[in-house]
Amino acid sequence: MSAEKKVVVKICTGTLCHVMGGSELPELAGHLPESIKPKVEIKGMTCGGFCKDGNRKPPFVTINDVLMEQASIEKIVSNLEKAISDDAE
Amino acid sequence: MATADYFIEIAHRNIQKAGQEVCGDVFLSRKLYDEGRTISVLSDGLGSGIKANILATLTASMALNFTVEHQPPERTSQAIRDALPIDQDRKISYATFSIVDIEYDNETSIVEYGNPPFIVFRGAAPYKGIIRKDFNADIKKCNFCAQREDRIVLFSDGVSQSGIGRIEMPFGWDSENIENYISGILEKNPGISAEELAQKIIGRAYMNDSMHAQDDISCIVIYFRKPRKLLICSGPPYKKEKDRLFADTIECFDGNKIICGGTTAQIIGRELGLEIETDLFSGDNQLPPVSYMKGIDLVTEGILTIGKVAECLESGEMLPEKNPAGKIIRYILANDHIRFLVGTKINEAHQDPNLPVELEIRRNVIKKIAQILKEKYLKEVEIQFI
Repeated sequence: MSAEKKVVVKICTGTLCHVMGGSELPELAGHLPESIKPKVEIKGMTCGGFCKDGNRKPPFVTINDVLMEQASIEKIVSNLEKAISDDAE
Repeated sequence: MATADYFIEIAHRNIQKAGQEVCGDVFLSRKLYDEGRTISVLSDGLGSGIKANILATLTASMALNFTVEHQPPERTSQAIRDALPIDQDRKISYATFSIVDIEYDNETSIVEYGNPPFIVFRGAAPYKGIIRKDFNADIKKCNFCAQREDRIVLFSDGVSQSGIGRIEMPFGWDSENIENYISGILEKNPGISAEELAQKIIGRAYMNDSMHAQDDISCIVIYFRKPRKLLICSGPPYKKEKDRLFADTIECFDGNKIICGGTTAQIIGRELGLEIETDLFSGDNQLPPVSYMKGIDLVTEGILTIGKVAECLESGEMLPEKNPAGKIIRYILANDHIRFLVGTKINEAHQDPNLPVELEIRRNVIKKIAQILKEKYLKEVEIQFI
């Protein structure tokens, strides 16, 4: 990944994601380590419809369009750290 | 009440006589949706304070209910006179009343007894075509057909006698000066709401009294205006084939537009080729954030947000400006005709019994909101299911 291209995190703001713990995810920006902060872009999206598939559990986010279920700030941060360090190698 | 192109906005403002706890002027209004009638009554009870308030409440409610039943004014006034208790000090029974009865076609009849004469404004100028007929010595009746941009202004003698005895207005605020004052406001601000105008009139009367009201001051403004319309869409159509129709209805609507529901917004975005931008930090721990689409005033999440709207409309709770439900309520209150376009597709993911909160069925919540808006906020409401 080139230096100017950021990792895009999209947070689903749909009803189910919101009640299943997603309401805290917009605070992600405040929990990002300084080292990766400039490389991450955080966006919101309206219900992505991922909950329609009963096998997957909300809240959902996508990281560069890859779906993550049962997302938490911790999980997103560790995933981002991994993605960005992999990219650097 | 609105026929196709009218909305009747009614506002009442009052200030009680200095030193009194309650106002002795009473205003009542009712919309009869089935008949398309709107009836408003102002009564000024003898004296001031609690005693006057009771006389006026009795008078106003009798006048309103008799009028609902199409009773002639002389019968109404006789019944009121028979029912009013006789004042112990003054040995008379007395309360004034003015009854405004507006039919579905804006044919308006006004009965006056003892109050200062009402004024009709057509645009900014007082309308002089009103012919009052004497029913008997004291009761006057008149009929006229109201037009769009007409305003009927009624007030108690606390307005017309405000400032009485001052050098510049020895006989109070006479009707010519009241007319000039209101005309001046209407020239500067032709679209002023009934509420603002009523507030200005009582404010001026209060000033005439040097901020020490000599009597109960009340004013009612009835404004026939172009309706302001709001469309609220929520829920995907039951059948996918209706998606296009659904989106077209929204696109063509003339007025404010709100979409409640992420999936709903996506369907409309897809059909109309519009991008949705979510403002991630506009929500709170209760409600998900709002989004924006070109041509749509507001996009919110669905069931949680409309549930909050219903709750707050019912309780009257004020929400902060940035709250998503608060934003919807502000749009609702600023409009006269509220049309709901409700997709009835059930979101199966919401039916999971393991969810931490109970998610209600959209259709039921919207029916509840519609009911509250009709009864408590006197809005014109229409629900269409798709």
